[in-house]
Amino acid sequence: MAKVYKDLREFLQTLEEEGQLVRVKEEVNPEPDIGAAGRAASSMPNGPAVLFENIKGYKGSVVTNVHGSWQNHALMMGMPKDTPTKEQFEELNARWDKFPVPPNVVSREEAPCKENVITEDINLFEVLPLYRINEQDGGFFISKASVISGDPDALDDFGRQNVGTYRIQVKDKDRIGIQALPMHDIAVQLAKAERKNEPLPVAIALGNNPLVTFMASTPVGYSQNEYEFVGALQDGVPTDIVRADTAEHLFVPAGAEVVLEGYIIPRVRVVEGPFGEFPGSYSGSRLQCEIQVTRITHRTDPIFENLYLGMPWTEIDYLMALNTSVPLYKQIKESFPEVVAVNAMYTHGIGVIISTKCRYGGYGKGVAMRLLSTPHGMPYSKIVIVVDEFVDPFNLEQVMWALTTRVLPHKDVTMIENAPGMPLDPSSNPAGMTTKLIIDATTPVAPEPNPRAVELLKDPVGTAEWTTIIKGLQAAMDEK
Amino acid sequence: MKCPRCDSENTRTMVKSPVGDVWEVYVCEVCWYSWRSTENPVVLPKFKLTEESIAALGVIPPIPPLDV
Ligand SMILES: [Zn+2]
Repeated sequence: MAKVYKDLREFLQTLEEEGQLVRVKEEVNPEPDIGAAGRAASSMPNGPAVLFENIKGYKGSVVTNVHGSWQNHALMMGMPKDTPTKEQFEELNARWDKFPVPPNVVSREEAPCKENVITEDINLFEVLPLYRINEQDGGFFISKASVISGDPDALDDFGRQNVGTYRIQVKDKDRIGIQALPMHDIAVQLAKAERKNEPLPVAIALGNNPLVTFMASTPVGYSQNEYEFVGALQDGVPTDIVRADTAEHLFVPAGAEVVLEGYIIPRVRVVEGPFGEFPGSYSGSRLQCEIQVTRITHRTDPIFENLYLGMPWTEIDYLMALNTSVPLYKQIKESFPEVVAVNAMYTHGIGVIISTKCRYGGYGKGVAMRLLSTPHGMPYSKIVIVVDEFVDPFNLEQVMWALTTRVLPHKDVTMIENAPGMPLDPSSNPAGMTTKLIIDATTPVAPEPNPRAVELLKDPVGTAEWTTIIKGLQAAMDEK
Repeated sequence: MKCPRCDSENTRTMVKSPVGDVWEVYVCEVCWYSWRSTENPVVLPKFKLTEESIAALGVIPPIPPLDV
């Protein structure tokens, strides 16, 4: 049974034991230190989480880059920290099929997130060491929140309760802006409330078990509950949740560091942004929704978990890497069992590499077209590379081998103009329209002619044994 | 005190540092830009706002019609 974390603190402890968390004990300034550290840590190949214990003018601590490396990602799943990306992908796929695993509802007394309650003179700055992430951001942002909301037409339908990550700008001591994009689940619920001019109750959980954060940013179906996926990804172990104080129908993670409760003010839009986003550029100001915070509950000495995002790769790219790849893989695999793996890690799936066995000639192109008709792939995916089943799509050296040895551009490169695009892709023009590029880097199979069929090199006999011998010699040297 | 983004004088102190008297955070009530006293904000020309440009900003998500 894989290691399971009840809350963020248990995970941070494991990260520290594994050398994947560093503590900054000296006093730092909120700007630009915390953003800069998040940038620096996520640029390192085995980037650790960074815990700031002393921030000028604030009481509490901040942790950043919690998900920001493959090592931390593997530990999130309870796997050894050096687990290769493809193995993490395969393990996620296996656990995914255990959905749904109903969560465990605990009593209010049992939930650490209820230790402290604030209902008067609410001041977010007393609880959270807020800071500016990127220089031109319009204010202090909460970038790693799990926002819980219900369907106003079906409050008791647990499946339609949504847990999602949306960027949040602090506008005042007790008021925050939220980005509810029309294609995301919360916008469906908000529209129902706004038609009746009613507030939409929300609870915002900060500092969670890393798999809660992982699922909050995964594009699952509207009627699929994210907590039931957390139980699946914990290999069948249910996650603990507790009822929110101000909205009977909402449930929050019992071990959350901080829970902000309140409501989206109906039919009001106020300037939000700009904000540095995952494609590496700022997204401009828009008129967006605001939330009135009416209650805060929090653990004693809460830790504020927040992430840096900017020029890829940053923490958010690690967080969105496999939780974008897995649902796309599941959807394509259903129609074409030859598909081996899908790497949709690049810029939230704008670039995708698919590994597949080709059943008949032209198969690679067909698989690419299937990707381009999935709910996420149709608007997001712009550059699709298809490689053979023996190429690891997560290994770019192997993918470059496939491009250089398997692509004859006049027949293997295809462009489809005037297709759906992703507005945050700064190359889409007009925003939200693009040209699709398919590169078929698979070996030709019949009836496609392959006039220059070649023999692939195999490893010499004894290579595996020699790997063990050399590793042993190297380890012996390290001990000296 | 002028807003670094829209030049409005309609600004106020949002909050003082919870520990010590080491900084304050200000906010503009026209464009809701906020900044800390220890920062020296320089808003790039492309991110500057006026009352006219605020009125012309896109709305996310659109506000649906009221049920009757
Ligand atoms: Zn202003």
